[in-house]
Amino acid sequence: MWKALFSLSSGAAILAGLLAGAPSAAAQALDIGVIKTVTGSVTVVRGQNSIPATPCMIVLVKDSLVTGKDGSVGVVLKDNSTVSLGPDSEISFQDFQFSPGEGRLSWVSRFVRGTAVFLTGIIGKLSPQSVRVETPVATVGIRGTRFAIKVDE
Amino acid sequence: MVLSLALCACSTAPKNVFLLLPNQDGSTGAITVENKAGSQVVSRPNDASYVKDAATAPTGPATMEKPDIDKVFGDALRAQPEPPLMFILYFDTGKDALTDESKKVLDSILPAIKSRRSTSISIVGHTDRVGRREDNFRLGFDRAGKTRDFLVESGIDASSVEVFSHGEDNPLIKTEDEVPEPRNRRVEVTVR
Repeated sequence: MWKALFSLSSGAAILAGLLAGAPSAAAQALDIGVIKTVTGSVTVVRGQNSIPATPCMIVLVKDSLVTGKDGSVGVVLKDNSTVSLGPDSEISFQDFQFSPGEGRLSWVSRFVRGTAVFLTGIIGKLSPQSVRVETPVATVGIRGTRFAIKVDE
Repeated sequence: MVLSLALCACSTAPKNVFLLLPNQDGSTGAITVENKAGSQVVSRPNDASYVKDAATAPTGPATMEKPDIDKVFGDALRAQPEPPLMFILYFDTGKDALTDESKKVLDSILPAIKSRRSTSISIVGHTDRVGRREDNFRLGFDRAGKTRDFLVESGIDASSVEVFSHGEDNPLIKTEDEVPEPRNRRVEVTVR
């Protein structure tokens, strides 16, 4: 009897430990990737702030990336997708959820203008219907792939 | 400068281009380009669909020539990051001890992190289905944690490393419960 109780409570302790880890997991969920390449003028727009982009900078959900006339930038996201932009381009990462364990998978970007190359990663493999790029003229859905868009409305 | 502006103004290059590229491994997927006027599937590499505006249907796919691809997308293509590298380490049953072969793989992760100057490394621990699901969740963490400790002790910044466990829920090889499967007792390290 006591032994049974003991093993129950140690199980509860493990669960409590996992739950205690939850807030940091939630904070990490905002962090969706990292900037790997930067050329020329590139800005991360985060809420009201515009921050000059640098390699190794973390990208958060809802961030926009904006390149200048001489700019280009490359990003790797948590599901191993990559996105790169040419000059005079702008994209925002509207939604990004990568929790395969809980079945939460989603990647929605809004590509406003310029040129971009996309390589879809694990979300595109596990749940291609959850990947979407919205542009002012059309929306792109994917089946695990690499593609490029130019928008000059 | 004036000349190049003049050339741009004369150019009849399409304004909105949706181009399917081959994957680096030679395979190709497909894209669907859709707006309220219509929808188009592009499924051959280097085919593109063009869209005049939001009220006009996407065109049928047409091949985009290599020089045109480079002219339009060259800068964005050159800015593509290297794809992330994945390493798989295998473990002895029920333990957080690496198999002998996997110790060599572990050693090869360090140079990869350095050459990419990676600050984004994820470590995911997995188990087979022997034992209770909760215990396996914890065992997955132990295996991932052990791998993290090795990297940090070897000089990798701890803030660059994230640790997860999928326990027995994400097998490489699907099995019935309680079946030992060495290929599922693993840690996956992704270096971005």
